[in-house]
Amino acid sequence: MQHRIDPEKVGPQGEVMAHAIEACVHCGFCLPACPTYQVLGEEMDSPRGRIFLMKEVLEGSLSLEEAQPYIDKCLGCLGCVTACPSGVPYGELITSFRAYSEPKRRRPLFQKAFRMGLQETLPYPARFRAAARLGRLARPLKPLLPSFLRAPLELLPAELPPPEPLPERVAAEGERRARVAFLAGCAQQVLQPGFNRAALRVLARNGVEVVIPKGQVCCGALALHTGERERALRLARQNLRAFSGDYDAILTNAAGCGSGLKEYPLLFRGEAEEEEARALAQRVKDIAVFLVELGLREVPPLKEPLRVAYHDACHLAHAQGVRAEPRALLRSIPGVELVEIPEGELCCGSAGTYNLEQPQIAATLGERKARNILATGAQVVVTGNIGCHTQIQNHLRKLGQNLPVLHTVELLDKAYAGQL
Amino acid sequence: MTPALRELEILFPKGLLHRPGELAPYESDALTAFRARPLAVVLPESHEEVVAAVRWCQKHRIPYVARGSGTSLSGGSLPVEGGIVIALNRMNRLLRLDPKERTAVVQPGFINLQVSLAAAPYGLYYAPDPSSQPVSTIGGNLAFNSGGAHCLKYGMTSNHVLGAKVVLPDGETASLGSESLEGVGPDWLGLFVGSEGLLGIATEVTLRLLPKPEAYHTVLAAYDTLEKAGEAVAAVVASGILPGAMEIMDSLAIEAAEAAVGAGYPREARALLIVELEGEAPEVEAEAHHLEQVIRSSGAYEVRVAQSEAERMKIWKGRKAAFSAVGRLSPDYIVQDGVVPRSKLGQALAEIERLSERYGLRVANVFHAGDGNLHPLILYNGRVPGELERAEELAGEILRLCVALGGSITGEHGVGMEKRAYMPEMFSPTDLEAMRRIRQALDPLELSNRGKMFPGGEPRPPSGPHPLERAGVIVRE
Amino acid sequence: MNSLRPTHPKEVQEAVRSHPRLLPRGGGSKPALSSPKEGQVALELTGLSGVLEYNPGEYVVVARAGTALAELEALLRAHGQYLPFDPPFVGQGATLGGTVAAGLSGPMRNRYGGVRDFILGVEFVDGLGNLVRGGGKVVKNAAGFDLPKLMVGSLGRLGVLTELAFKVFPYPKATATLKVAFPNLGEALEALYRLAASPIELYALDLVPPNSLVLRLGGLPEALPARLERLEGFLGRRGERLQEEAEKAYWEGVRDLRDFGEGYLVKVALTPRHIPALEARLGAAPRRYMSAGHLLYLAWSGPVEALDEALRAEGLPGLILRGVVANPRIGLNSEGTFGLKVTAALDPEGRFERYAAPN
Repeated sequence: MQHRIDPEKVGPQGEVMAHAIEACVHCGFCLPACPTYQVLGEEMDSPRGRIFLMKEVLEGSLSLEEAQPYIDKCLGCLGCVTACPSGVPYGELITSFRAYSEPKRRRPLFQKAFRMGLQETLPYPARFRAAARLGRLARPLKPLLPSFLRAPLELLPAELPPPEPLPERVAAEGERRARVAFLAGCAQQVLQPGFNRAALRVLARNGVEVVIPKGQVCCGALALHTGERERALRLARQNLRAFSGDYDAILTNAAGCGSGLKEYPLLFRGEAEEEEARALAQRVKDIAVFLVELGLREVPPLKEPLRVAYHDACHLAHAQGVRAEPRALLRSIPGVELVEIPEGELCCGSAGTYNLEQPQIAATLGERKARNILATGAQVVVTGNIGCHTQIQNHLRKLGQNLPVLHTVELLDKAYAGQL
Repeated sequence: MTPALRELEILFPKGLLHRPGELAPYESDALTAFRARPLAVVLPESHEEVVAAVRWCQKHRIPYVARGSGTSLSGGSLPVEGGIVIALNRMNRLLRLDPKERTAVVQPGFINLQVSLAAAPYGLYYAPDPSSQPVSTIGGNLAFNSGGAHCLKYGMTSNHVLGAKVVLPDGETASLGSESLEGVGPDWLGLFVGSEGLLGIATEVTLRLLPKPEAYHTVLAAYDTLEKAGEAVAAVVASGILPGAMEIMDSLAIEAAEAAVGAGYPREARALLIVELEGEAPEVEAEAHHLEQVIRSSGAYEVRVAQSEAERMKIWKGRKAAFSAVGRLSPDYIVQDGVVPRSKLGQALAEIERLSERYGLRVANVFHAGDGNLHPLILYNGRVPGELERAEELAGEILRLCVALGGSITGEHGVGMEKRAYMPEMFSPTDLEAMRRIRQALDPLELSNRGKMFPGGEPRPPSGPHPLERAGVIVRE
Repeated sequence: MNSLRPTHPKEVQEAVRSHPRLLPRGGGSKPALSSPKEGQVALELTGLSGVLEYNPGEYVVVARAGTALAELEALLRAHGQYLPFDPPFVGQGATLGGTVAAGLSGPMRNRYGGVRDFILGVEFVDGLGNLVRGGGKVVKNAAGFDLPKLMVGSLGRLGVLTELAFKVFPYPKATATLKVAFPNLGEALEALYRLAASPIELYALDLVPPNSLVLRLGGLPEALPARLERLEGFLGRRGERLQEEAEKAYWEGVRDLRDFGEGYLVKVALTPRHIPALEARLGAAPRRYMSAGHLLYLAWSGPVEALDEALRAEGLPGLILRGVVANPRIGLNSEGTFGLKVTAALDPEGRFERYAAPN
């Protein structure tokens, strides 16, 4: 699409945004892939419409305030990137645009405080735990709270598992086949510490020595995707240091963190550490990809056949193109019958802090996802991301269904342990 | 807000968009070379609401355009500056599907591909398959008589629409066609389909469903020249086989499609021919045997046959993504849609290549070879001063070439905004006058999709009473 | 009675301009539609004849409207092609223009579609005497209003056809026919529905009352025996097979509607859903349902009012082709202002017969 953006005027990411806008031919193939367009059915809430709006803002012919509500509604699921035939790097565009626009916008004080609160708690397991406890205490007050505070309360689990500090190193079982560094993730340490335990056990069982570097922090994706570039840079710099050792790979078992690390080159564009960021990003792998490349040690057959629905986390499928590997892992468990979820490409509505900031759309998408999952008749749902896990579990329960929701490595771990 | 707009807001309390941020994304369809800011967008949810919107436009003499997913490549759903966009996206329900009578009744905002998905459990499908089918709506398909890759054998949208409930430009409702494939009396529905939104807005469409073919046989043949691929098409036709589809892509298009979807095409090929047979298994098997001989002697250096449905879908995915994929090769492009007699394909392609060199602009070719429907994609960079103008000029030359060779300026994208200046190349003033009389009989103020299809912008100022007025058929406000 | 015989479109224009009321007429094979009334000048179009363009590799043929179907068909068959909508009355001298104006197709329309699905281009003289072109001469075209389709079934009321372009297809290399009798209409109809929804591709799918289906297969000769077997397997019963010359002769007779005896010959557009109720009303009238129950031809010996009433009761439109009547359009006529306005646009002075809506 033609534009009149002057990248110079826009700042360090001007070139990235101009390039993305140029690549869009407005063909509309992104419409069916976009969750907000599916729900709202209006052009402004589609990727193509947002690209147009961003273009207008960057050209200076539309005020930021006019465009902002629609930019805010984007989940950043990147379903459109998969659907786009002309290769628009929409993820880079929206991330850059949010970084560009955040300092320019005026938010109401309470919203500022809320967002700041999220940024200051979610990435820090200890703070998040404390906040979550507080939140549980606040539950009875829910009807009295403003809506933006109600959503987070709904997502909190009834019971938080006890904290479990992770070891610094886990030895390989049997012959050592690889040595990796592991990013533990932030929210999942509090909400589902079992994900990491399962990951470490499965890795060890497959002959992988795992180092969990000290000094690692939140990957910064949360900050980056909400336009807090400086905060994201601060966190990312710490991680560059923490993961600088010599590893065969840097693993994560959270889709959002994996894609966050892979976005470092974009984040550091024009910074001194740009090269370093690129080098790190190249070594980052989702645990499923790593295990498939490594080759799984034999998994014992399940006692009974199990019908498993695999849910594609957007930040695996769309952001990292990881679709085949988790399925391959699941299929390598004898007895697993893998089923596909209808509308599988569509986001579940979790999308980082989206379900906190746009609770209505998130809930519509969550329910839609839950119904699609139930339609498969699966006995277990598996996914590779903490956000999806929380969202899906929540919406299945709302529909009165107690279908277990597991992380891919959890199912694998249980299979190795003969628990299924 | 003007009083008129306030009135519209009362009619559409939850379906009116009028803020700049809401209107900007509606300024263009898939032809971004044109843009126009509407006064407002309304989102009706029922037939009655469409009537209300049309009547409001009548009352205030404001032009309007109905819009589906905005995928028109001819600027057909481009808003009229200061007019109303009637966006039909909320009217997106499947109203009925009757597997026994093999019909589906849908609202205009229903997506083309969804018809086939809904019909699939009954072994049925909806035949017209424009490349935009995952996105484009039945209403838009109907207005522009969309085509696709299977038109030679199965025809275009018009051949698959049985009936339509429409809102005429005066706000009256008409019911055209029936459920029968046959009719008595003039084919009013035939006229309505493809009228580019000038004669009214369909609010309910009855589609005919076909049984899904039992077997497919999809062949991908690679050639070292475009000419050989063209000759292969002629040879297939001469053999008496009637394939469901015959498509050709040139090297630029192959490059783009590969980059977009990794269809597994031979990248080095100068031309790819896709031929698809379909039908009863024993017949397809026998035809495949004949086809193999034809293709073998056509000089293809590599021939692949899809061995599974997945392989077949992959071949088609590349072809269908080709247009948009060209966005990877160039920041801007114009898609053309000319038709030439099949025997003139080689001549047309050679001439296009010559024009491409003369204008210094790359042209990628993707086309429905079976029906001579060319889709030259003219690549340009809009930021280079003068390139857009050169590209448009080149596009015009191609259209004139198509007409000169006995073809048409549009096979399936419609005239819309883009090709209206070329209508006089194809039709005489008398022909256009007759079409215009039909239009004015139904829409004397020319409000419905004003500025499309007919050359010239604003409606001609009425010079004295129209013959129809004299005859008492039409009445002006 | 006054009549003119133009041999050039210009003469048609002159005729239209100089006569207040005209009725175009081709081969006269459908007398109900081509017998001039008091005050009408008959415009005999058989002088406007001849194939103008035909290149078999294009699948397109262009001919003057007064060209006899028989002449055109002979030319196409010499190149292994045909008009896939299978027009009737070829043997009775029907012309291309008359076929379009009456909107008639025959049994083989079942495979690929009717006359509306194959018409590509049209040239006609409108009610103001203008020579107007619509459509084109290529198999795919979306430019301008689809005037060619509009002319299908127009009965000469929108203009006098002077030239037509059609898409043609290769004629099947071999054909074979299966006549299958069922115990009753219900079972025959059920089989018709099953066949129509199946991937079995039939050139003709006719229901011959009281309880038979006649099915025509076409394609490559080497695949036909297996397909006939499959067809019988699909139906779960054997039928009488027709092949070679006998088969061809049989279908020519059917296509030309020869075995309908005396009385009004009528076309009815319908869907198979209407068949049971119609069957209860039509008594002994010779009839045949074609194209999977979408097209009925019948001969009616009783008063035309009775048939009109029967069709209205079923909500179906009919067209009388043979037999003299004031208005050949019977049964349902749901034409509204859309049609009136378009008609007035093309014939503002009312030179052509309108066949005004009876209801």
